[in-house]
Amino acid sequence: MSLLPKTNELGFFEIRLESIGGLGANLAGKMLAEAGVLGHGLNGSNFSSYGSEKKGSPVKSFIRFCDADVEIRDHSPIEQPHVVGVFHEALYKTVNVVSGLQPDGVVLVNSTRDFEEIKKDLKLNYGTLAVVDALGIAVEEKTKLNTAMLGALFRICDFLDPDVMRDVIRRTFEAKYPHLVEANLRTFNRGYEEVRFQTVEAPEGAEGIAFSRMTPLLGYETQEIGGVITAQANSILKDLSGSRQGFLPNLDLDTCIHCAQCDTVCPDFCFVWEEGEDKRGRKQMFLTGIDYQYCKGCLKCVEACPTDALSVLREEIGFAEEHRVPQSFPLVAGRRD
Amino acid sequence: MSIIEQDLKKTETAQQISGFESGNEMAAIAAAQINYHIMGYFPITPSTEIAQILDRMKTRGEHDIQLIPADGEHGSAGICYGAAVTGARVLNATSANGFLYMLEQLPVQSGTRFPMVLNLVTRAVSGPLDIRGDHSDLYYGLNTGWVILLARTPQAVYDMNIMALKLSEHPDVRLPVIVAYDGFWTSHQKKRVNYFADRKIVQDFIGPQPEGFPHVGDPEKPVTIGAHMNGDDLLNNHYQLSEAMYRAEEVFQEIASEYAALSGREYPLLDLYAMEDAEVALFLLNSAAETAKDAADQLRAKGIKAGVISPNILRPFPAEAIRKALKHVKALLVGERADSYGGHGGNLTHEIKAALQEDPENRTIVLSRVFGLGGKDFYPDEAVQFFEMALDAANKGYAEKPFDYFGCVSGEKENALKPVIEPMHGETFRSGVIKVTEDPETGKLNVRIPPLRALTAKPKRLASGHGACPGCGIFPALELFFKGIEGDVVTLFQTGCAYVTTTGYPYSSHKQTFIHNLFQNGPATLSGAVEAFFEKKRRGEIEISDDFTFVMITGDGGMDIGMGSAIGTALRNHRMIMLEYDNEGYMNTGSQLSYSTPLGHMTSTSGVGKKQKGKAFHHKDTAQIMAATNIPYVFTGTEAYPQDLVKKAAKAQWYAQNVGSVYGKLLIACPLNWKSDDRLGEKIVKAAVDSCFFPLYEVERGITNITYDPEARNKRIPLTDWLKMMGKTKHLLKEENQDLLREFEEEVERRWRVLKAKHEHPDL
Repeated sequence: MSLLPKTNELGFFEIRLESIGGLGANLAGKMLAEAGVLGHGLNGSNFSSYGSEKKGSPVKSFIRFCDADVEIRDHSPIEQPHVVGVFHEALYKTVNVVSGLQPDGVVLVNSTRDFEEIKKDLKLNYGTLAVVDALGIAVEEKTKLNTAMLGALFRICDFLDPDVMRDVIRRTFEAKYPHLVEANLRTFNRGYEEVRFQTVEAPEGAEGIAFSRMTPLLGYETQEIGGVITAQANSILKDLSGSRQGFLPNLDLDTCIHCAQCDTVCPDFCFVWEEGEDKRGRKQMFLTGIDYQYCKGCLKCVEACPTDALSVLREEIGFAEEHRVPQSFPLVAGRRD
Repeated sequence: MSIIEQDLKKTETAQQISGFESGNEMAAIAAAQINYHIMGYFPITPSTEIAQILDRMKTRGEHDIQLIPADGEHGSAGICYGAAVTGARVLNATSANGFLYMLEQLPVQSGTRFPMVLNLVTRAVSGPLDIRGDHSDLYYGLNTGWVILLARTPQAVYDMNIMALKLSEHPDVRLPVIVAYDGFWTSHQKKRVNYFADRKIVQDFIGPQPEGFPHVGDPEKPVTIGAHMNGDDLLNNHYQLSEAMYRAEEVFQEIASEYAALSGREYPLLDLYAMEDAEVALFLLNSAAETAKDAADQLRAKGIKAGVISPNILRPFPAEAIRKALKHVKALLVGERADSYGGHGGNLTHEIKAALQEDPENRTIVLSRVFGLGGKDFYPDEAVQFFEMALDAANKGYAEKPFDYFGCVSGEKENALKPVIEPMHGETFRSGVIKVTEDPETGKLNVRIPPLRALTAKPKRLASGHGACPGCGIFPALELFFKGIEGDVVTLFQTGCAYVTTTGYPYSSHKQTFIHNLFQNGPATLSGAVEAFFEKKRRGEIEISDDFTFVMITGDGGMDIGMGSAIGTALRNHRMIMLEYDNEGYMNTGSQLSYSTPLGHMTSTSGVGKKQKGKAFHHKDTAQIMAATNIPYVFTGTEAYPQDLVKKAAKAQWYAQNVGSVYGKLLIACPLNWKSDDRLGEKIVKAAVDSCFFPLYEVERGITNITYDPEARNKRIPLTDWLKMMGKTKHLLKEENQDLLREFEEEVERRWRVLKAKHEHPDL
């Protein structure tokens, strides 16, 4: 008798975690997989998407479970998961997080928003949506949000015993950080208990969400030979706002003295300047705003600001778009937006 | 063989533990159980983890391997060779260009017949640079005289590592052995695995090192190693090697049988899946073969006789076993994750064809496909497509297209890259408010710069949208430097974070012309560009303005592996700037120690635990090393003292245009690996300056000048005020580490005193 509620044609129950570097999705994936394999005698595998991505860039973690006697030979990325865990809500803007989800699959989203809004953004018509405020729990417990997400994932993967995970948490923290054991157990338990569900039954014969394998933008007929790039500075077309983890700098021009300290320390060139005249009619540079498209929320500028002009703001959806002051680049025709 | 097989049934296998581990973890576990004497290594993705895991185990006292961080892979191979000739058990691990960089040393090791084990975690060879997996590095190893074992799974990585050492040391072999497994697919994928509960089982299996082979570790028997030969002798030497290599096939089979008895896991020469009656087959190395087995099952379910062949050993090439396996196969597709350009098929295609050619009855049609390069994933449905190609050839009786690439796309014309911004050059970057003049009497430079506010009018050289971590210190420091540079620049970034985050194809964050080269060679490369520019200008073939400036940008890692190139370039005194951003570690590959990592600091290869307290030796004083080349200008700088840095940049440009080489070192924060708050980067580097760990100074035509003296200004802070700001150094503040802290403080103080003396005495 299999522990697993359902499996695909190769015998796998598959989970995909969607996150950005730095939120601990890889570790959560590893712990989840280990609990299944070492704690429940399942066979399993776990791996992540790899590249030269840095903190704040999109990452995926994959978990395959199967019965102990099934061999796992496939090591390609999971395309049609039974469960998707979205650690970073803003990702849906740049990544198709629910790509290939099975018709009766479950999507877990770390969010404070209500079901309907999330369903609309993710274009979910049926299946189960699970929502947990993992960031909120983590902030309250002074822990990491991946532990809260793990709690919710254990609730979804009800073939796994949460006590196995509780033991792992205890063992992990006991040796080095004994004072963190209780807070992390609470975080896990709250994730487990506070996750909310809404299910829309998939109609008979419903298809899962379509998936497509990524194809490169350029091919052998359109790549310059040798990989030369002739479109200098085309990275300005990128949107890096998804790298922010909940906070951004807020600029109050009334108290700004235009000293350029913020500009000096900003790693992402977000500060927008304009030439103007000072009170005595001399030409001067004036700060006009922040281009939030590139702001990764490091907040170095707030630290550097000698006045109160820059302060930290808990980011709400829509704020950055509304207050963005775009950099003006000398653009030429052919820009793709 | 049959006797051994009978024994196998009688023997109980040894006690094993179940785990959930990746290929790299299994390589490290095997190494720790073997308890090698020496591992010389240099970090490169994706093999680096092995050294990191071994370092972590060492902090807990789980093995005694001396882990030696080399100055590059060439150096690591040298360390390993030196240890091997001293009769030590030796391990190394590398990938891709790391393997190519040590390539020269590999035939030395095999030709002088000293055993060791190298884990080659396979990855695409540059260029263009690609950090993910294929077999282009492995193919360079085919002619090195090393035995090559292949491991398709994390379990096999462990098993092969144990067998590899025994095979390597075997009196009939005495050759170094490579264990090759797929970068990421195997190295980083966790699977259920078994390993021996007690390291003694492993050590007993391998047995003591065979005696009777000369080495330098025995002073009573002096020997000469590495005498040079002429052809008469070299031919005989190589014949010995060749014979030993062929003997390795039989010895491997013996060892594998013995190992099967101990572990319950068998490794024949070829892993044959559903090959008994196969009519179509795929020949694939490592992880791709596993994927293809699922495809074979699917086809078998439809009544198609499909099978998969994957070798467990590649050198010696198991030709006889391959002939046997293909006896009745109608069509074989050889899938290769590397090409031998122009060879009408990759190397293995030809080796298989050559093996078959010796069987006059063989009628197998061989197709060859290059696929899955640079980490391109291989899905089960693609393996089905491979089988379909083989089926098509089997049905037709010939291969319509014997050799091709698989998985390429032509691309849509409308997606071709188009310019996004107007080209920025010349006047755009000339603020006109930075003035450098030479004092005719003293020969010193006078620099005038405006307030930073005014310089915001000058465009940045780099564009937004790069992929660096939040709070990365590289970009503020580089841009401050560029603020001081007027006019056009050509930059060369050596491999490192700044390169990787600004040029992820098809995107570039560079406004002006940019070159990348691998990080042992950036200074030499740019010196070639500089001289070509000037020579073409001299011949009137190009027009460039007088303030054209060449800047080579490197991390502190690049100044380790590329130190020779940098010193050579400085000694030739080319008119260019070498600029180092120092974040005290190899952050691009996962925070391994660099020679610039200070004493006691924690990195992923200088861990902190009961048995080890961070890095064991002091940080490199690169600025002083470069000053000793007597180039006209050397400086240090940080974003925390912006005017100081902008001024130095202006001077650097003047010297690079008028005199010769310049070197500058910028201390920059890496919040991720310093384990510090993203927002505190500037404060931390300021504290590094104010504590005199990182003094701001310049050496101008040999004369040292401290440009900001925190002591004189009464702003000096204790070293601990700096150290307490970073997670990587917090342990240094603990009572138990006070001796280590004192040693570090004394070294900082000593270097500061020396610097002050130089500042006071122009002759020093």
